[in-house]
Amino acid sequence: MVRKDLSITFMGVKFPNPFCLSSSPVGNCYDMCAKAYESGWGGVVFKTIGPKHYLIDEVSPRFDALTKEAEPFVGFKNMEQIAEHSLEENLADLRRLKKNYPSQVLIASIMGSNEEDWEVLAKLVTEAGADMIELNFSCPQMTSHAMGSDVGSNPELCRKYCAAVRRSTKLPFMAKMTPNITDMCDPAIASLEGGADGISAINTIKSIINVDLDKKVGLPIIDGKSAISGYSGKAVKPVALRFIQQMRNHPKLKDAEISGIGGIETWEDAAEFILLGCKNLQVTTGIMQYGYRIVEDMKRGLEHYMDEQGVDCLEDLVGLANKNLIPAEELNRDYIVYPEIDTNKCIGCGRCVISCYDGAHQAMEWNKETRRPNCNHDKCVGCLLCGLVCPVGAIKPGERVLKANRKPRNLAKLVLQDSIEKL
Amino acid sequence: MSKCYQDEYEAGYTPRLVMEEASRCLLCLDAPCSSSCPAGTDPAKFIRSVRFKNFKGAAETVRINNVLGAICARVCPTERYCQQGCSRSGIDKPIDIGRIQRYITDFEEATKMDILEVEKPNGKKVAVIGSGPAGLTSAAYLAQKGYAVTIYEKDAKAGGYLRNGIPEYRLPNAVVDKEINRIVKLGVDINLNTRVGEDVKLADLKKENDAVIVAIGASKGKSFEMFEHNRKVKIAVDFLKQVKARKGNVKLPKNVLVIGGGDVAMDVVTTLKLLGVENVSDVVYEEFKEFRASKKELQSAQEQGVSIIDGYAPVSCRGGTVKFKHRVIPADLKIKADLIILAIGQVTDPAGIDLEFERGEVKSKSYRVGESNVFYAGDIAHGEKTVVYAVRTGKEAAISVDKYLGGK
Ligand SMILES: Cc1cc2nc3c(=O)[nH]c(=O)nc-3n(C[C@H](O)[C@H](O)[C@H](O)COP(=O)(O)OP(=O)(O)OC[C@H]3O[C@@H](n4cnc5c(N)ncnc54)[C@H](O)[C@@H]3O)c2cc1C
Ligand SMILES: Cc1cc2nc3c(=O)[nH]c(=O)nc-3n(C[C@H](O)[C@H](O)[C@H](O)COP(=O)(O)O)c2cc1C
Ligand code: SF4
Ligand code: SF4
Repeated sequence: MVRKDLSITFMGVKFPNPFCLSSSPVGNCYDMCAKAYESGWGGVVFKTIGPKHYLIDEVSPRFDALTKEAEPFVGFKNMEQIAEHSLEENLADLRRLKKNYPSQVLIASIMGSNEEDWEVLAKLVTEAGADMIELNFSCPQMTSHAMGSDVGSNPELCRKYCAAVRRSTKLPFMAKMTPNITDMCDPAIASLEGGADGISAINTIKSIINVDLDKKVGLPIIDGKSAISGYSGKAVKPVALRFIQQMRNHPKLKDAEISGIGGIETWEDAAEFILLGCKNLQVTTGIMQYGYRIVEDMKRGLEHYMDEQGVDCLEDLVGLANKNLIPAEELNRDYIVYPEIDTNKCIGCGRCVISCYDGAHQAMEWNKETRRPNCNHDKCVGCLLCGLVCPVGAIKPGERVLKANRKPRNLAKLVLQDSIEKL
Repeated sequence: MSKCYQDEYEAGYTPRLVMEEASRCLLCLDAPCSSSCPAGTDPAKFIRSVRFKNFKGAAETVRINNVLGAICARVCPTERYCQQGCSRSGIDKPIDIGRIQRYITDFEEATKMDILEVEKPNGKKVAVIGSGPAGLTSAAYLAQKGYAVTIYEKDAKAGGYLRNGIPEYRLPNAVVDKEINRIVKLGVDINLNTRVGEDVKLADLKKENDAVIVAIGASKGKSFEMFEHNRKVKIAVDFLKQVKARKGNVKLPKNVLVIGGGDVAMDVVTTLKLLGVENVSDVVYEEFKEFRASKKELQSAQEQGVSIIDGYAPVSCRGGTVKFKHRVIPADLKIKADLIILAIGQVTDPAGIDLEFERGEVKSKSYRVGESNVFYAGDIAHGEKTVVYAVRTGKEAAISVDKYLGGK
């Protein structure tokens, strides 16, 4: 039976596997984190701990989900702030966790409103036994502008607060970035310059995901009103991956240690983050929906992937995809790939014809007698929209042709997708 | 849906369909499916693995828990086991667990996964009598534990009713072969054409081995006196065995009468129909409300156009003519057929194996016979007479043997 070692060193700390709870209600207290460790998570980022003077007062209800067709949870919106438990309780939990689970990694997430807060909190969690710290610069629904994503979108504040933390702890720490920004590289660089050892990304995206059509208010409704707040889950994965790639692509960040967050549910999601340069992975929404148990399949699936890839060390996969994401202007635009229709698979639904006509170039023609499509190469531009909508995966990249007046080359050597089909 | 004896009746899932079905699973808290699989295959876990794209992990769960996973996937009466308590029934209908399991084991085969591992030899020897599901399972379990295991099988091929009973359209022999190959690869020796009690003596096996597991099943079809010495009469299990061995190439008359109403009878009538027999009548002793056959099989028989007549018992038979009487109402029935097939149950044929039986089951409370080194499993053990139960008792008997021989 295939067995692989999933351990990996991130910011100088060895994790038994890269999978961690991200800071959120999934790591709210001792019992939850203990259960997560027992379920096989490599580490826990404890729910963000705030300064003593900042009182938390949450709304109810506080979540909503974006659905699509029969899929109940494409994306998830929350209106939660940071830890509700008292500072003392949280510190006591950290202490107990470290004592009872010494070999699994404990990360404290903290958030202050001024330099002094950051220094004090960093010192307290260091004393409580955390292995590393995450600075939450990124919660988009704080009721104070001195805290949360307003900080994360201000590189100077990031630098200042990192420096404050650096002064009061020797532990490695990472700065958690907000995606509510055009360029994440600036605050990330400022954080590293301020003394951070790594970056985690992303926190939630500011959003309104549904509006109640009768009451004319966004969801969830809190006494007739709602507010813009953080979006997470599978739907945000593409945004997270994009920010991570941009950081890895920046000369000042190309070797940065990154913990990837955003929509991770399966080992495939995890592998994507790793290939784009993450040595550590964090999850919340997947756990909120399905429970800690999802880590079993993520770990086992990743082991099998390592086996298929012929690597013994997870580290060997980190960042392998970064070099293959290049500026759009550098892509090879010399050829067209036409769709190839597998007539044995085609069931004659005509969806490719509809999408090609209404959303592409009217190239997919329909034979009314046989009820089968046929691609007219004179019109086809090779966008392969047809392949994405086909319900049975009957369309794949087929014939490759050179555009007019381009330098001849061996088109057989082009690296293409094996399949366009989405399950 | 295919309508040919040699083709599997039910099509397998495509990746998209298995994902759709796995997505119907509610991933519920206490997973009644897992607690009601007799073999402990743990459907909740493998369905979850499918849902989260860990197909290989799913295959590991199935194979490690159930060495005959690909077979059970096809033949288990799931409505009675794993699917019975499915929480999804609160919305519409249970998850099709058998079919998901089939997808997974087909995937395992297609990707040539090699899941089972063998511990280093422990120097102990165990003989297993019978190569049906019970014998195969105990052999596989013990081989993994490091025992040197030899199976003795009276037939020319291994598999018991998996090979000889369950028809090709439900369980292709190619699948049986692959499952047996996996077990042979664990180091299990299979001695074919060797009847214990005749070709070798049980007493010798007891002496030459540290333990013996008897898993001889119920391989003989029953008959009634009124049907003896009648050339028009055949026994169901003999008939099914012949058809399967000849890949469906048998000559059959136009009118066939089948007597019996269990799963074996359903297999006979459906086989007859798939082989092109025009008129198939099935007279059943039970009334519909007390029917023993699984719903799925009754349904496929009915789809094939078999006339099923319930509540009648045979009273006499002369040549091809059988007279019946209704068990409750005053009614008579006379059917003339070219061929009569009896599917009225199977019994154990323990010739030469001196164990004490009571209603077909070995008289003993544990899996061990008294204080001897003889153990037993499968249809001759207490419990239900299904493949998955044979897997369960095969595993449990093997665990008893291991304990008896000092295993941890
Ligand atoms: C037609 C038919 C259809 C069925 N369909 C289903 C189904 O769909 N689902 C389901 O779960 N169950 C089904 N069953 C029941 C299932 O097949 C049995 O419960 C199961 O095979 C019992 O396993 P076993 O290992 O105890 O015995 P068997 O499968 O009967 O195997 C016993 C083996 O021992 C060998 N043997 C016997 N005596 C000796 C001897 N003295 N020396 C050496 N070898 C010997 C036999 O040749 C045979 O190979 C069906 C049964 C039949 C007959
Ligand atoms: C209900 C909820 C509460 C959260 N609370 C915090 C928090 O206290 N601190 C923090 O850094 N991030 C918090 N987050 C953000 C998550 O840690 C994570 O960055 C984000 O949800 C994206 O990951 P996901 O798609 O796996 O959920 C919270 C997210 C959710 C859904
Ligand atoms: S999920 Fe639990 S805490 Fe939240 S409202 Fe429901 S019962 Fe209450
Ligand atoms: S979408 Fe696919 S199945 Fe439908 S007509 Fe086109 S090729 Fe055939």
